[in-house]
Amino acid sequence: MATESKVHVKSIGKAKILFKSPARITLLIAGLFFILALVESLTGATDISSPGTSGATLRFAIPLLMAGLGGLWAERAGVINIGLEGMMIVGTWTAAWFGYLHGPLMGFVAAAIFGLASGFFHAILTVKIGIDQAVSGLAINLIAAGGARYLSGVFFPPVGGDRTVSPPVDSFPTFTIPVIAPILESIDAQNIFFISNLAGILHGLTKDVSLVTIALLLLVPLTSWILWRSKFGLRMRFSGENPMAAESLGINVYRIRYVAISVSGMLASLGGAYLALVASSVYREGQTAGRGFIGLATVIFGNWKPGGVFAGSILFGFTDALRVRQSESVMSLIMVAGIVALVLSIFYSINRRWKPGLISGSLALVAWWIHQRVDVIPQEFVTVFPNFATLIVLTFLAQRLTPPAMAGMPYRRGSE
Amino acid sequence: MGNILEVAGVEKKYPGVVANRDVSLLVREGSIHAIIGENGAGKSTLMKTLYGLIRPDAGSIKVFGQEVSLKSPQDAIALGIGMVHQHFKLADNATVLENVILGGEPSRFGFVIKYEEARKKLLEIAKTYHLDIDPDESVANLGVGERQRVEIAKVLFRGAKILILDEPTAVLVPQEVTELFENLRDLVDKGLTVLFISHKLDEVLSIADDITIMRQGTTVATKKPAETNKKELAELMVGGELPKPIAGVQNISQKSILAFKDVSFSRHDGREILHNLNLELHGGEILGLAGVEGNGQSELIELIMGLLPATSGSVEVLGLDASTTPTKDIRNAGVAYIPQDRQRDGLLMSAPLWENRILGHQFATPMAKGIWVNKAAAAQDSTRVVEEFDVRTPGVNVLASALSGGNQQKFIVGRELSGKPQLIVAAQPTRGVDVGAQAIIWDHLMKARTAGAGVLLVSADLEELFSLSDRIAVIYSGSIVSILNPLKTTPEDLGLAMTGAKSA
Repeated sequence: MATESKVHVKSIGKAKILFKSPARITLLIAGLFFILALVESLTGATDISSPGTSGATLRFAIPLLMAGLGGLWAERAGVINIGLEGMMIVGTWTAAWFGYLHGPLMGFVAAAIFGLASGFFHAILTVKIGIDQAVSGLAINLIAAGGARYLSGVFFPPVGGDRTVSPPVDSFPTFTIPVIAPILESIDAQNIFFISNLAGILHGLTKDVSLVTIALLLLVPLTSWILWRSKFGLRMRFSGENPMAAESLGINVYRIRYVAISVSGMLASLGGAYLALVASSVYREGQTAGRGFIGLATVIFGNWKPGGVFAGSILFGFTDALRVRQSESVMSLIMVAGIVALVLSIFYSINRRWKPGLISGSLALVAWWIHQRVDVIPQEFVTVFPNFATLIVLTFLAQRLTPPAMAGMPYRRGSE
Repeated sequence: MGNILEVAGVEKKYPGVVANRDVSLLVREGSIHAIIGENGAGKSTLMKTLYGLIRPDAGSIKVFGQEVSLKSPQDAIALGIGMVHQHFKLADNATVLENVILGGEPSRFGFVIKYEEARKKLLEIAKTYHLDIDPDESVANLGVGERQRVEIAKVLFRGAKILILDEPTAVLVPQEVTELFENLRDLVDKGLTVLFISHKLDEVLSIADDITIMRQGTTVATKKPAETNKKELAELMVGGELPKPIAGVQNISQKSILAFKDVSFSRHDGREILHNLNLELHGGEILGLAGVEGNGQSELIELIMGLLPATSGSVEVLGLDASTTPTKDIRNAGVAYIPQDRQRDGLLMSAPLWENRILGHQFATPMAKGIWVNKAAAAQDSTRVVEEFDVRTPGVNVLASALSGGNQQKFIVGRELSGKPQLIVAAQPTRGVDVGAQAIIWDHLMKARTAGAGVLLVSADLEELFSLSDRIAVIYSGSIVSILNPLKTTPEDLGLAMTGAKSA
């Protein structure tokens, strides 16, 4: 039994190294693009790689990313934050109200401050008082939703809003990156196989970008840097992995958790502010629509790593974007998935790994069957797709996920 | 060389217990100093005091000749005292380097960790003291011996001059012990001082320069290995005379009610806890199981109760194969279980006594009536237990948590001895109870024996083992190393056998 588990550990180590090599990732992405381009040219559906889709993907992904990073900060420090949804609501409401009063920039600042406070509240409940983390998070969700509804009724109608909708708020200015964007646009128009598809996607990312989007995107490398390069990050990770060890070396686990959870609340709230001020220009009740929970899913999807959370939020954002655009493109997406599954199945079979080979083979068959028999993909399927994808990822990768060992466990100072 | 550490008159009291009293200790610089003693002799309390985890009530501690007051581990670290805990304090999901530097990270602007500098320093330490570690390996991939080296490196990284190792060999296999001892020799050769807690006499005699023996919270003697032997150390550890066993009516049946045949048990991580263990118990006898804690007693009990399956060999309990029979069926066959941790495994602390009376008997009359619980019968029988076992309680409707520890224990024993069990597994049945309660519990165990039940008595209390047992089996490193007759054995012999000495 001992030897078996050792072999297992070793193979995981190897897989990690292979997966980590940048050349390999680039190759993988390029391969995926190639299949995408192929399908697009075969079916004539062009929306997947259109600039509109990639732009929308980014807009949908940012709020998820912020919620995900918020979840990441909390869980790395050892506390699960179910309250992300509520903290996002705090962000949407405060951003809209203070944005209406003092302009969008102040809206963001207010959302950051109130988000920080909501995170701090979660920290008091879970770290100091020791309330069950899920219960505390749920309470925050309920308080935020109820509070926002009440305050909307009080504040918005007198200034031209509604009981559920704020008055319109000024948007942030957007800009198009000069030189690069027009060049990409012209390449996209040329309709060259593969290259134009790529240019189309990049064009969407360089056209009409908001400075806020770029600033928030920078939080991904920043979080990485803090986690793996800074003293605080190391201590934060140990607070989540083994708080007893940290405490025995003189680290104040409580203080670290207070900071990390407050930042978590701030990030989620900024995600909410983005929804109200960038993705739209108004607060609307129910605007967050469960994005806090999806953000939590991206944390798992991304294996508690900022880059992974980013990839997860892009995937969820992409399917969100497709939902609001054409549903034919979903069909071509299924074709892409089918071809990927087929390639994987061949790859596994060559390596004599029959079980995963068989599974991906049957997935390819299912995709082909859907393509043959189904004309229109129901809207509901598209909506549920990201959740489905998370389930699949969890099923296949559960063995390889490395969640913080003590995330979610109550910790009292001095416990062994 | 002078004394690097001087402890004089240190005392630590807890409510009702004196953990340390009049402790004195002189540790020479550059030596390996072993501290031995039975469980509860106060070794760990003393070590925690030296590491600043516990503040003593009285006494003085001098480090390098300076009187010091240790308020926290940080004070101890600052003075050059480092501790390697028995249970490693490492994060699996991080590298060796990260585990080592945590809390003492070299940094730029107090924020950015200088990893290169840290790695260099760690590699230097590893080279100087011949510690075989790879800074970039993930701790999850390390074995127990490697983890211990990381813990030692952690202490050295903080510039410790005195290393305290709390039972470092308890978790190691023999080859790892040899490696550890080589490392410890290297450390003292380079001028460091090692304080080493153990209760394995062979090890202590082979590695230590000085040996201090503790008994009942105090230091009783300090010896040099050349001037002493195992027998003398065991005598010093165990101490004075023990009361003679009570004579009882012996009524041993031929029927074997518990039989371990070549039983081995390995944990999930592959560590073997029990190795080819053989043991037999007949009706009408009390078999004492003696051994230093952590030699496989807990696992042995859990195997009997069907809580763990044997890796190989067979465990037969009242004719049932305990590896495949559900715990419920084992209990219903007539096995009573007095667990060693009464609050964790024995009671529902926030439930009333009558509900606790039902535990383990939830399928049998009179507690159960079909699928329903019979509250009236449970309450009535709880009252009987309360009276028979002199449980001091205002009634059977109070919560278990309202009772004192001794009364909780009496209630558990009363519950378990209800319904005429044939096999009684009693783990530390009188731990932490007062003399009166102890007498009641002993009396009832003897009565059960007279009535024909077999009792497996797992105890760390030598007096209890000598007073009750018909035979005493000694467990060491997961095997029964000897079976002794309490009438023909001295406590010294038993102490020797428990610490793994081959013969008396």
